[in-house]
Amino acid sequence: MATAIHLEGLRKDFPTPSGGRYTSVQGVTLDVEAGKFLCLVGPSGCGKSTILNMVAGLLEPTEGVISISGQRLAGLNRRAGYMFQQDALLPWKTVLENVILGLTFRGIPRTEGEDRGRTWLARVGLESFAASYPYQLSGGMRKRVAMVQSWIVNPDLLLMDEPFSSLDIHTRHKMEDELLQLWADSRTTVLFVTHDLEEAIALSDEVAVLSAGPASRIVGRYPIDLPRPRNLMDIRTEARFTDLYRLIWSTLREQVLKSYELPV
Amino acid sequence: MNSRYRVVVYQVLLGLAGLVIWQLLSDAGVLDKFFFSRPTDIAARVFQWLVKGTIYPHLMVTLEEALLSFVLGAALGILFGFALARIHWLAALLDPYIHMLNALPRVVLAPIFLLWFGLGIWSKVALGVTVVFFIVFFNTYRGVREVDPVLLNNARMLGASERHLMRHVLVPSALTWIFSSLHTSIGFAMIGVVVGEYLGSARGVGYLISQAEGVFDTTGVFAGMVVLSTVVLVVGRSVNRLERRLLRWKQPQADAGGEQVA
Repeated sequence: MATAIHLEGLRKDFPTPSGGRYTSVQGVTLDVEAGKFLCLVGPSGCGKSTILNMVAGLLEPTEGVISISGQRLAGLNRRAGYMFQQDALLPWKTVLENVILGLTFRGIPRTEGEDRGRTWLARVGLESFAASYPYQLSGGMRKRVAMVQSWIVNPDLLLMDEPFSSLDIHTRHKMEDELLQLWADSRTTVLFVTHDLEEAIALSDEVAVLSAGPASRIVGRYPIDLPRPRNLMDIRTEARFTDLYRLIWSTLREQVLKSYELPV
Repeated sequence: MNSRYRVVVYQVLLGLAGLVIWQLLSDAGVLDKFFFSRPTDIAARVFQWLVKGTIYPHLMVTLEEALLSFVLGAALGILFGFALARIHWLAALLDPYIHMLNALPRVVLAPIFLLWFGLGIWSKVALGVTVVFFIVFFNTYRGVREVDPVLLNNARMLGASERHLMRHVLVPSALTWIFSSLHTSIGFAMIGVVVGEYLGSARGVGYLISQAEGVFDTTGVFAGMVVLSTVVLVVGRSVNRLERRLLRWKQPQADAGGEQVA
């Protein structure tokens, strides 16, 4: 299998207000095979999003190498889609215009783009909201639009930063289900950041645990051998799931406790 | 009767009560007619202006000046707002000067503009521009600078070029700020040009008021003020409507739908 993401000795420093330096992550080395779904979990403030932003090319690493499908990353990662934690839809554009934004930027003719946009909206059951504005949608609907917005351009790699953390638990499970369906159809490589271990196990092929910051690094990698397709509504009570949860939690627990000890 | 109409009824009643008290006090001699005039006299004067048509050329001049200063001031404000928001060293360089100029009371500029641009409309337009420019400039600057970085990053990740970012993210974001300040800037454009007319001109509503003042014609002064504030009110209402159209993608505020009243 080809390596989609290769991270080697990644380090990122940020200047602090007092003039010092804060090392967010250090010595992060990770390979993700093409088509795999990898979750990064860790206590809050451990630099999960920093790693994601570096892979996206939005942040430049202080040290280390990022290669995407064998090519060293310089500048913005043009092969990656990114789904942000916050609402990133343009409020002044309709749902359909938002969905096809990436197609518009690629110069695809409007009518063709709109046809494709409608097809995608239908896949997540939002075809009747094409002409609505984002403020008229519920939180879950906005997330669906954002999800379709990043999938429609067919990226080789999808980066997701706690995309469902603002949703209520049922909507969240529904969205995770829809995400897995989209992913199963496309087999895009996914790098998914979350602090929710249950979500991580339910979705991914592999879970990587980050240590508490500062200078977080990867302290454990756990392949998730749950069969696919997965039934996300019931998977959390399966024996294999709880075994994996217990195993990974023993590592994560220590880091979470440590993250509370440190004065930030 | 719904509450919105009830408010309008009360608003009208309040105004009428004020006018009646004013009228009664003037008739009773408590208020000197020479200094305070009388509502009936003022109404008669406004009516006379409207019927004879003497007010229209003055009103047209004032509106023309206000429109010109709004268009020019807004264009310059948008231009500078974008330039300074995108070119950081330029913003740093000009920052103290912009604040100095904005702190200047516009009235002191009027005599200078009279010297530079003459007694015609352009000295008034210049004064109006100095007012409108800063309102639009600061709003554009904020609109561009304070655009949510997540929106920018999201658009970038979707493949937006700098030109795309400008067209799809930065300009619309700045426009919302500019539109929401339309009301203020048009109102201030009127004030700017009327002050200019008042201080030296041969036409316009401000000229009318200053002429009346010159002969101690308080009725004329009040009539001028009535015309002016009515016009500002009407213009404001239409701007409100325009604003709602342009910002239809925004969550309606509690007072939206007040169009029925207008």
